Amino acid sequence: MSAVTLILMVIALLGALVAVSVRDIVHAIFGLAGALLALAALFTTLGSPLVGAMEVLIYVGGISVAMIFAVMLSPHVGRDLRETPARRLGAALIASLLFAGAALAVLSGPAVPDTPEAAGAFDPALVGHALLGDWLLAFEVLSVVLLLAIMGAVIIATREPPAPADAAPAAEEARP
Amino acid sequence: MSAALHPASAPALAQALSTPHSLPHTAADLVAQPWLASLLGVGAIMAFLTLNVLFLIWAERKVSAWIQRRMGPTEVGPYGLFQTLADMLKLISKQLITPSHVDRPLYLLAPLVVFAPVVVAVSLFPFAPGLAVTDVDLGLLLVFAFAGLGIIGIFMAGWGSNNKYALLGAMRSVAQNVSYEIPLILSALAVVLLASHPEGVTLEAGTPSAHTVPLLGTSLAHITLAQEAQGYWFVLVQPVAFVIYFVAALAETNRAPFDIPEAESELVAGFHTEYSGMRFAMFFFAEYTNMLVVSMVATVLFLGGWDGPLLPGPVWFFLKTYTLLFGMIWVRWTWPRLRFDQLMRLCWGLLVPVAILNLLGAAVLAEVL
Repeated sequence: MSAVTLILMVIALLGALVAVSVRDIVHAIFGLAGALLALAALFTTLGSPLVGAMEVLIYVGGISVAMIFAVMLSPHVGRDLRETPARRLGAALIASLLFAGAALAVLSGPAVPDTPEAAGAFDPALVGHALLGDWLLAFEVLSVVLLLAIMGAVIIATREPPAPADAAPAAEEARP
Repeated sequence: MSAALHPASAPALAQALSTPHSLPHTAADLVAQPWLASLLGVGAIMAFLTLNVLFLIWAERKVSAWIQRRMGPTEVGPYGLFQTLADMLKLISKQLITPSHVDRPLYLLAPLVVFAPVVVAVSLFPFAPGLAVTDVDLGLLLVFAFAGLGIIGIFMAGWGSNNKYALLGAMRSVAQNVSYEIPLILSALAVVLLASHPEGVTLEAGTPSAHTVPLLGTSLAHITLAQEAQGYWFVLVQPVAFVIYFVAALAETNRAPFDIPEAESELVAGFHTEYSGMRFAMFFFAEYTNMLVVSMVATVLFLGGWDGPLLPGPVWFFLKTYTLLFGMIWVRWTWPRLRFDQLMRLCWGLLVPVAILNLLGAAVLAEVL
């Protein structure tokens, strides 16, 4: 394991720790963004620049910004929002179990050979052909899932009683 | 516009063609130590970016002065060329004021978070065949990925400043950037479709034997090579995409007429209201570098990158880039600022649908050509 990998792992862990431990939800989002950025760099140094680029594009640039949006649109942003200890423990347990499951699945699977051919599996052209060829149905079903998520968000957002403080973009759209 | 017209680049190009997926003469090959090479590359990029910002701010003042029938800066240096340098020295020597009750970690980190991604983005560009700090297959994707990170820093600044003007500016900026990223990327995708030639294209490139190389539409170098091979720049077949890209790029860089995140008349200075000295200078640096990045992307996507007759590649590249930058400055001093609802209607009501239709058209075109 190279020094760079080690440093990146430490940064990712620190970011993740900030994300789950601080009281200020905005700080938590930025902690998460930092952890994801370190993960992207890890993917790149470990031989998969495509996953690294996707991590930056989708997770750091997309998901983190979506969270920022959520904060902006919330009528009252809690600087002291904190889950109860029981719920935090439950969340930690579920996350650890998921991680253990994923790790087990990876470790018990066939070892990936350290060859150029194996590295070539992450060739963007091949990934593109796989997504829009053999796995087209799964790819399209995923987009339906995203559509459902957006519809769900709209329903949740409109079900609430009129927000006391008007959040900027939402109010802009609501105006006739 | 065929590549045969500039022989200077031929040897490098010939070498480039022998390895289809990456150009060989990146900075890393020139220096044996990869760390030293990276350091040199970053150093060169930083020096270039500093010069670029000094020049662009001077150009902005001069062009705005011409448009308004004034002289602009004249005192410091010939034609006032060193005015920005003097301003920079002033900013460096100024006291850094941290207002009370700011969210300290966010407030202090924000200028860095705005600044760092654009530097990474610049290092991905091929200025000439084989001349790039890092040349990767996914160049275009990475440029958009890193250019999109700036808004995280802008939000950090607005949120951390504990100032209502800053927060309003940051909220506008995030909403605007997220919206305009869609037409920006959709218009770039049209070019990616046209530039992808998995079956390979034949490049003459002034070498004795013609080569057939597969081209990947997401590589900045390959997009340029595709335009060289086909003999025309993509602006000719994708004029709509070019206009959409340029408008969206103005919005992405928070330039007038889309500069409502820092609308001086209503928000003081928007997200960077509470910043002074070098911290303020870093926001400025990032803003002008961002202009450079979107112009360089447009140069590669639509204007053929380094491609052009007689002059060497980098000269063409920067000639095109700075022509686009002049256009951005021109627009700023000609159009009044849009209102927020007008801004959103322009994006979702006009640019996004037209960009989607144009993408469909480009798909048909890619089949025909």
